[in-house]
Amino acid sequence: MADRDTSTTDAHTLNVYQELLSPSELFEARSRSHKIPLKGQKDFLPDGSEKQTARLQQRLDEHWTLLAEERVERLGNLVKAVWTPEERLVELQSPAGKFWQTMGFSERGKQYLRPEEALYLMECGNVQVFYRDLPLSIQEGYERFLSSETVTLHQYQVFGHLKRLGYVVNRFDPSLVPSTYERQLNLPASSRDKQRKQLKRKRSQSPVSRDKQNTSPVEKTTAEDQSDELVKSSESPLESADASDRTWWMERDVQSPPPQVQSTAPRWDFSSISFPDLGSRRSRSVCLASPDRSLLPGALEVGDCDVAPWLSRLNMKQEKLSRRDRERQRERDRYRRDVNSDREVRRCRNWAEYFQLLEDRRRRGQRDRPAHLWEREVTPLTQPGQCASHRELLDQINIVKPSSWSEGVSRLSPSDQWKISFDVYQPDTVAEFKKSHPGKPYSRMCVCRFDGPVPDLHAMKQLSFQSGDVPVTFAVVDHGDISFYCFKDFKLPTDVY
Amino acid sequence: MDGDPAEMNMPQSLASIEVKDDMDTRSESENQPEGDALVDISFCGSTPLLWKVSDMRRCRSVGVSGALVGALARQPRQNVRLGRPLELLQEEALLLEETSTGVASQHTQDCGDEEMHSAAVRQYEASLESSYKEQCALALQDKKTVLKKIINEKENVTDDSGNAIRDRLNALDQAFRFPWPAMAVQLCTARAGFSHCPEERSFLSTDWPVPRDERLNTRFCVYRDLRNKGFYLTSAGKFGGDFLVYPGDPLRFHAHFIALCLSMDEELPLSDILAIARLGSNVKKTVLLCSPQSRSETGKDESVEGDVVYSSLQWSSMV
Repeated sequence: MADRDTSTTDAHTLNVYQELLSPSELFEARSRSHKIPLKGQKDFLPDGSEKQTARLQQRLDEHWTLLAEERVERLGNLVKAVWTPEERLVELQSPAGKFWQTMGFSERGKQYLRPEEALYLMECGNVQVFYRDLPLSIQEGYERFLSSETVTLHQYQVFGHLKRLGYVVNRFDPSLVPSTYERQLNLPASSRDKQRKQLKRKRSQSPVSRDKQNTSPVEKTTAEDQSDELVKSSESPLESADASDRTWWMERDVQSPPPQVQSTAPRWDFSSISFPDLGSRRSRSVCLASPDRSLLPGALEVGDCDVAPWLSRLNMKQEKLSRRDRERQRERDRYRRDVNSDREVRRCRNWAEYFQLLEDRRRRGQRDRPAHLWEREVTPLTQPGQCASHRELLDQINIVKPSSWSEGVSRLSPSDQWKISFDVYQPDTVAEFKKSHPGKPYSRMCVCRFDGPVPDLHAMKQLSFQSGDVPVTFAVVDHGDISFYCFKDFKLPTDVY
Repeated sequence: MDGDPAEMNMPQSLASIEVKDDMDTRSESENQPEGDALVDISFCGSTPLLWKVSDMRRCRSVGVSGALVGALARQPRQNVRLGRPLELLQEEALLLEETSTGVASQHTQDCGDEEMHSAAVRQYEASLESSYKEQCALALQDKKTVLKKIINEKENVTDDSGNAIRDRLNALDQAFRFPWPAMAVQLCTARAGFSHCPEERSFLSTDWPVPRDERLNTRFCVYRDLRNKGFYLTSAGKFGGDFLVYPGDPLRFHAHFIALCLSMDEELPLSDILAIARLGSNVKKTVLLCSPQSRSETGKDESVEGDVVYSSLQWSSMV
């Protein structure tokens, strides 16, 4: 073993210089071919024939020639950069190339690349990265740049794969995704972008504790934007999802008051209190009789009330409607009858009489219903004659409602195992990409492995909620082989009409 | 290193015909002196990677193919043909280590020796300088030959333009400028000569960076057994199995089997077997259930590795 050690270290030191090119080789490399040999059809079984051996040999020769080729670039075409391990960033030292349109960022007047971007550009032969005055090889780039704090090798493989396909790939930043609250308010996308821009400007001024500083100005802009953008937002595809959120608000408003009403109700019997109607043109009484003493608090005394000065302040003019308004009102009235135009309702003098009337009407409507079905605790889900079609009937007797992914996610705790890694934008040829205004990503990437688990419904809901209306794609890395899959919300087709 | 590629292909073509033959040639090749250069397996996280072409050639000569995962130097912006590094399966790396073909090489982040470092920087700058001078001379030479060629072609056409070119040729020695940015430089793929630090190699198997659990052991037993039988293996994640089994070099041949590694006492629902068997027949491959037999069961000596039991599912019709 000792013998072997000495011989291998000798061979090893030789190896280190083996792949360095001589100046003449470098010079000749300028005019080398850029063609890639085609892969031919494979054979089924090795038959030991000379023809097959020769073909395999040819393929192997091509293979090794391609792999052995080293990157050679003119110094003038290379962007020089320096690796700063403390910040885990690569700082540019010379003017950036075309790649700056889609990669990198500026901070405090300096231009930076994230490690995965720098590594990709090293592999493309665009950037030469130095560390302690020496150029880093691609191998050193992999070893130094890739870690669990930056991006892992698997994440980088997905990054590189997508970049090579032409996609614009950025690291996913959860803080730039609108919060639950923002989504409930149905903030339009444009105001979110403004917010994002502002974040960026702030960041360059004072990098410390920017999150706290920003909250107030951001809220101001969003509130302003909301009013003038509401019209637009109603057309946005977000609407359907957000509409359900709004009804939730409404429900809460409706539900919460009753306990208060109940607590104060016993003091007055509303059935015996009649309400004055000042606005009515028919009852032009100038004077209101003093109210019942029992209804007034404590020692308060109220005499007759002269309402004439109040009436003079009221706008009593007949409302003049344009022809269109009149038409619209007629249209509305056709479907929604005004309670006040109901003669029986008008005859009611107080709430008790009104409620009695409603109860009578309900009874009248249900007279032909069998009492054993309708007067007990459990009643049928649907009423006779209420449904016009099978579908309507099925909808009414449907107790367990179908649920979509977006429902009830805010209650779920975020999972540690599943994280979105990248925002992916379509290639520049499809849509022009602007770093300052990236807009909505085409998709978001979640990197995983074949020997890991498939995301459960919890993780799926969590991820799709976090991503909003941008689809989440899973990139599976299997020893250099990358496959993509995604889950889609599926609505079962119904064939009953 | 493997100078003659034809030689190392011999075992491959023989492999499927006569398994025993292959075993013999393989052990022969191990005895060759060139086999002594150890393959450097560098780990990125827990993933074994190979960076040098010589190492990759050596691996392929023992039937370890791996998968290329880097951008190809010649055309970096495409995914059809990839380049270095070569990613190895854990099992491939283990086999290299077990047969003393490869060794895990750890890179040290920074070496503290300032003097050595500044010497390396000086060496790098000097090499740039000399490379510039040499490329300068080469560029001048190049230009001269181009001009001479034009003169030779134009000799019998007109004297005037020929003279003009001849003048340029004579003035070239003084007038020629080769700007510094025009110099070609190499962007090294593997760690280069003026590297910051020599790598440390760990010869002790306890230093192996990836822990060997039950699952890895099962997979490794199957991998080693199939490799020793002369088959070539790659990862079969997208077919829902552990390995794709090739009769020859995957560059030229289709895979015949999808290997699914299961320990002897592992239970598997029939539905899973049916699913993968269906998939296998759809892609014209046979699904192999591979289970290593523990040493005590085979009744062999402790030093001998256990065999692997292979089974496949076949539909049978009862009449």
